[in-house]
Amino acid sequence: MPPLSSLKNLIPVCQLPAGASARICELTGDDSFCQRVREMGFGEAALVTKISGSSTSLCLVKGTRIALNHRAAMSILVEPLPANAR
Amino acid sequence: MNLPSHITPPPRRRPASAPDRAPVYAIVGNPNCGKTTLFNALTGLRQKVGNYPGVTVEKKVGTTWSQHGRPIQIIDLPGAYSLAARSPDEAVLRDVLFGRREDTPQPDRIICVVDAANLERNLYLVHQILDLGRPVIIALNMMDMAATAGLKVDPAELEGELGIPVIACEAVHGRGLVELKLAMSRVELPLARHRWDLPGPVAPAVTELQASLRDNDDRSPLIARAEALLLLTDFDAVRVAGSRPLSARTHQILDQWRQRWETEGTDWSGLLIRSRYDAIGLLCRDVIVRTRETGPSRSDQIDAVLCHSVWGWAVFAVIMAALFFSIFSLAESPMNFIDEQVASFGGWVKGQMAPGDLRDLLTDGVIGGVGGIVIFLPQILILFFFVGLLESTGYMARAAFIMDRPMSKVGLNGRSFIPLLGSYACAIPGIMATRTIENARDRLVTILVAPLMSCSARLPVYLLMIATLLPGNTMPAVTKAAIMLSMYALGTTGVFFFAWLFKRTLFKSAPQHMIMELPPYQPPRLKEILRHMFERGWLFLKNAGTIILGISIVLWFLTAYPKHPNPAATATEQIAQSFAGRAGHLLEPVIKPLGFDWRIGIGLITSFAAREVFVSSMGVIFGVESANDDTTPLRDALRASHWPGGAPLFTPLVCLVLMVYYVFAMQCMSTVAVVKRETNSWRWPLFQIAYMTGTAWLVCFIFYQAGRALGY
Repeated sequence: MPPLSSLKNLIPVCQLPAGASARICELTGDDSFCQRVREMGFGEAALVTKISGSSTSLCLVKGTRIALNHRAAMSILVEPLPANAR
Repeated sequence: MNLPSHITPPPRRRPASAPDRAPVYAIVGNPNCGKTTLFNALTGLRQKVGNYPGVTVEKKVGTTWSQHGRPIQIIDLPGAYSLAARSPDEAVLRDVLFGRREDTPQPDRIICVVDAANLERNLYLVHQILDLGRPVIIALNMMDMAATAGLKVDPAELEGELGIPVIACEAVHGRGLVELKLAMSRVELPLARHRWDLPGPVAPAVTELQASLRDNDDRSPLIARAEALLLLTDFDAVRVAGSRPLSARTHQILDQWRQRWETEGTDWSGLLIRSRYDAIGLLCRDVIVRTRETGPSRSDQIDAVLCHSVWGWAVFAVIMAALFFSIFSLAESPMNFIDEQVASFGGWVKGQMAPGDLRDLLTDGVIGGVGGIVIFLPQILILFFFVGLLESTGYMARAAFIMDRPMSKVGLNGRSFIPLLGSYACAIPGIMATRTIENARDRLVTILVAPLMSCSARLPVYLLMIATLLPGNTMPAVTKAAIMLSMYALGTTGVFFFAWLFKRTLFKSAPQHMIMELPPYQPPRLKEILRHMFERGWLFLKNAGTIILGISIVLWFLTAYPKHPNPAATATEQIAQSFAGRAGHLLEPVIKPLGFDWRIGIGLITSFAAREVFVSSMGVIFGVESANDDTTPLRDALRASHWPGGAPLFTPLVCLVLMVYYVFAMQCMSTVAVVKRETNSWRWPLFQIAYMTGTAWLVCFIFYQAGRALGY
């Protein structure tokens, strides 16, 4: 089965503009990273809002501010939500 | 009450022969959800609290009293998002709950502190803890913050769903503590209605692993089940097993299941985590009600500036500059006051006593040594006040966020910066804080470079040298602050250079992912900050009154004896042939290329115990040397000192070189001991002494010789 990223318009969190919201669709990091992300409650289907940052990203997930370094932010693929859906 | 099959209800009545032992409670929860604040409120102890994840890295034990006057032991544990421990501090929580720690009793009951504003995520750890089948009380903390976020959390509904006490509280304001104590005082606590449907593909593996852990690995039935679930959540079985390695049979079962799922394409870990969150979602369906939509919170608005790629750096620079400027400008008056009191007290003692060894011991040894160091108390207090402000408001985590990018250039990530920033105050808690770093190599590199951050013990040395370099009021405080700032910058540069070097040579590893929660901003808790500041100030004075006093007395003896055969010998001749003088002369050939003489050499030797001892040592040596009846400030005595040929000893270049030496040299026995404990080996502290002191010598040599060649 082809990865989700090839079927949808998915981008890594670091490319999400500040203020934009998105839905987490795919985790591409190593197993250990995916496990921690899911255990912290923002695995697939969680909504994320970018607060700031490009190299290191600051995001809001379920009311929690989460800092992600560039490697982590590259490993979380999201589907941007249209502005009226936020 | 319906209990799952793996949980056996406790006997309704305790057997008559059961020992009447006080129950042991553990306080657990996610990082930064208020566990230590609650622990302090219950026990009356004063463990350090802060507004960033990872303040508590080791268990703390205290006692509170039940409503019936019986003692209750409480263990405060480091925070974790999951029992699948990733870092040494998280492993402490798992090991204590699993009864793996020989130095800690296995808790009978557990208080789960949860952040009401982030209930679902916090309940993930609670859900894992309920697997242990032990009585649990939920402390629903930070209810006020949930209300601010537009959430109404219903404790009664959660209590009804789980069947265990759920107490709403605000630990920081002392609310809900009476109710919590009442629940803790109950003779019997109910077990939770902990029912959740294991995912179909995983359920038989849990049963098989649980049986193997019980039969082959000597685990109790409940621990076996909890551990089986962890083995099917975490990909690293060795990490889960920790100090209790798994039997070959359990490994075999685990490998067989994992191979099978791999063939089938089953995401077993993801399945298990998702099924827990599904169960939590059902649990919270009627517990959380969103009362209103809230826009960006105040913390989000502040973060938009403080975590901005440009403004964030500007604010960081202003904060650091304000810190160093305050150290000079605010501390000047109290410092002068202490200086005058020490001088007049020394003069009074000299006037009251007849000349002799005892008078010299008191004035040159005790007052010269200890008095020389006590005058730096105001600066130490200011430094700890500022660090306390950063910790209390939540800015520490933002500094780590800002520093992530430069840290990534040297192969570390922003998480390493919190221990490093803490090391500005003292390297020992900084090194302890590295326990929050998941990757063992990154942790070791952070431990190795942390003592390069200029700690508070270097402050007296820097201040003395700057006072000698720029006498009196000839230069504004800004210039002095700039010199000080450059020393801190030099140390920080050293941190980055050596981290880069070590990550490319000794500890090669791929860059790590970093996920870090940034707490909401809080108004500074001034009471806590002031208490911590005075505690550190008291520790500084205690050291001055014990270790530094002891070293000063011994050093005075070593400078005063053996007596020079010629009674008419000058004070300098007396010291030169004393025990200390002979040791200093032995060292002089090594340090002369740095511009240091044998007297400075004595200071370098004694300050290996602690850096600030250099100042007291100079006080003793130059106090003895200026053998007159006036007690002169140490900086004046240093400025008046000369080489045998008459050239001044403490030239501006030598003052700067001495500061640079203390930036790099490993001069702290306590840090050596902590590094030994944290790395469980003498190899790394010895390596640290060698590379840091070797670097100090080399950099000072280049700096001094270049300065001399340029005519300074």
